[in-house]
Amino acid sequence: MSIFADIENPISQETIMDLLTVKNVSKQYVGHKALDDVSLAIPRGSVYGLLGPNGAGKTTLIRIINRITAPDSGQVFFGDRELSPDDVYRIGYLPEERGLYKKMKVGEQAVFFARLKGLSRRDAIAQLKGWFIKFGIQDWWNKKVEELSKGMAQKVQFIVTVLHKPELLIFDEPFSGFDPINANLLKEEILSLRDQGATVIFSTHNMASVEEICDHITLINKSHNILSGNVDEIRRRYGANVFEVAYRGEEEALHKAVGERCEWIDGSQSESVYRTVKLHVRNDADVRAVIAAANEAVELRSFHEIIPSMNDIFIRAVNGKL
Amino acid sequence: MSNTFIIIQREFNERVRKKSFIITTLLMPVLMIILMVAPALIMQYSGGEEKRIAVIDESGIVASQLQSNDELIFEPTDLSVDEARKELTDHYAVLCIGSDVVANPSDVKFYVNSSSSISVEEAISNQLEHLIETEKLKQYNIDNLQQILDEVQTSVSMQTFRNDKSQEGETEAQSSIAATAIGYVLGFILYMFLLIYGAMVMQSVIEEKNSRVLEVMVSSVRPFQLMMGKIFGIASVAVVQIVIWGVLIGGVGAAVLPQLMPEQMAAGVEAMQEGAPQAAEVAAASDFDPEMVQAVASITDAGYVTKIFVCLLLFVLGGYLLYSAMFAAVGSAVDSVQDAQQLQTPIMVPIILALLMMLAVIKDPNSQLAFWFSMIPLTSPVVMIARIPYDIPMWEIVLSLVLLYASFIGMVWVAAKIYRVGIFMYGKKPDLKELWKWVRYPF
Repeated sequence: MSIFADIENPISQETIMDLLTVKNVSKQYVGHKALDDVSLAIPRGSVYGLLGPNGAGKTTLIRIINRITAPDSGQVFFGDRELSPDDVYRIGYLPEERGLYKKMKVGEQAVFFARLKGLSRRDAIAQLKGWFIKFGIQDWWNKKVEELSKGMAQKVQFIVTVLHKPELLIFDEPFSGFDPINANLLKEEILSLRDQGATVIFSTHNMASVEEICDHITLINKSHNILSGNVDEIRRRYGANVFEVAYRGEEEALHKAVGERCEWIDGSQSESVYRTVKLHVRNDADVRAVIAAANEAVELRSFHEIIPSMNDIFIRAVNGKL
Repeated sequence: MSNTFIIIQREFNERVRKKSFIITTLLMPVLMIILMVAPALIMQYSGGEEKRIAVIDESGIVASQLQSNDELIFEPTDLSVDEARKELTDHYAVLCIGSDVVANPSDVKFYVNSSSSISVEEAISNQLEHLIETEKLKQYNIDNLQQILDEVQTSVSMQTFRNDKSQEGETEAQSSIAATAIGYVLGFILYMFLLIYGAMVMQSVIEEKNSRVLEVMVSSVRPFQLMMGKIFGIASVAVVQIVIWGVLIGGVGAAVLPQLMPEQMAAGVEAMQEGAPQAAEVAAASDFDPEMVQAVASITDAGYVTKIFVCLLLFVLGGYLLYSAMFAAVGSAVDSVQDAQQLQTPIMVPIILALLMMLAVIKDPNSQLAFWFSMIPLTSPVVMIARIPYDIPMWEIVLSLVLLYASFIGMVWVAAKIYRVGIFMYGKKPDLKELWKWVRYPF
């Protein structure tokens, strides 16, 4: 990429790293605003979580990225230029609703979709067989889709979505309808796709999965982007200076040593010879001093920060308590 | 390979493999043949039971001359009218002829025990008219009257020929009976194809919309490709079906007809098809009605049949394409077939109008009405195909086809716009005004 090209380019050099950039996008439906001035940037090669309560506008955003609908205002950039109709061929999309032809056989249908995505019939069959074996569903090849359960149908759809190795993968609630074993299988596949260079956008309200696989998130609530960033950073940023202390010794002694600088959140619990307690270290207090004082008073086994779960952050953010 | 083609392939394979397709494709020709043959057979074998009619003849001239046949048996009786009406309840009717019927032909009364029928009444009044006419002629005292009457009796049956300027000297036999019958059949076939296959497109679009298959495909296919793939996929099914029917009917006809045809008729038919000058004489020499021979000659003429078949294919395809684009647009706009009712009106009105026009036009295939309705694209397929057996000028057929296919392209442009918006729009039931707004969406 030459420097001169970038001068005229609306996107600055540093954002070129981002595969997809959404700039000030708004979308108005009759009666309500689905998206209001939403901006976000999705780094290349990351798993990007799109979070938000039901009806927040996640699906609308995904549909704009897929060019199913057009935004009223704002722009979407794919790499360094504006999203064009042909870019949809570089996207693999797994919608939340299961969209397969009910009367068609699984194998035939998978080959049909694969061919639409540019694979030859022979390649499609060869690759599909591999995926079917990996997912343990070889026996389904000649079954009709209407015979499959929801989770089964979604496995097929997942395979069809990723088969042609698109640069950008969009999964809308991919884990709904899956048992834990299959959800895990899917999770690993998503991560391995990322490791092979794909960028993944992934919309969900399952917060546990966010912590496990997302690198970055955006939280959309009531059509606004209310929180964006790296998952670890966000969790640290919204960490509340809460520590869990495990120790052997007198509760009284510990309390006396750190009591002025800390707030006791949970009462002392006793597990065999150790006790644990949760402390909130006051903002002006020095954590090292607290540890030193505690170490004097009792025999410390551990002293570590409790990082809030995404679930907590989600609930607090949505309720406006951040 | 282009995505539209892959979609066409899928639509075609899915439909052609269905049992219902195989069954209708094979059974339809059988059904059509039965439909054509059945009325003739029924007429032939159900000559009606015999009807005994008691005749009270006050004039004394008529009763003896009334001729009984298989159906009507005339039995003169001496009973009075009242007695006959009371006692002869086992007879079909009592015919009472006034004493001075020659001078006063209205003095004929017909008392029926059950319900009367027009054909019986006509048969009787024809006989009476003929008898009275003869009686009146007798009053002029002409010699050899009977001989003269026998010689005068004539029955005309016309053979129609068309003057073909391009092939000077040669004339081609053309039967208007056959043309009318074929015209009707073709018109109805086209009407049915437009309705059935058009509705198939609509239903399939609705199904695809509801199953959300489209959202999966949106990353690999443009909505326009999807719509065209569906339209052409189903079109290929229609074409295959027609070709199979053509081959079946043509093949069975070619194999069976010559064997069924009596020898004399076959000779007449052959002579006519070859345009031999003595054709008429050959035909007349046989025991068969020359018109009938001519009809058979034209429907078994290979060139004529091929021309009709090719035109049928072209008009079915063109008409289907035009209407299916509209059906696809409507299907994309609604969530269920029930919701489609209202939006379908602008499609159904021209189809039904076309059928009505076809029925009117077939009686006078060269009228102004016929010409214009076979040019207007929405009605032209049904109306034009019904005119084609009549040997209308080639330029009219070509112009009609050009207009039809051109308007299909225009319609696709509009339909694609509606489809593009409608297919991703759920839950809202749009009206026509809303659809027009979609056409002008800046996609």
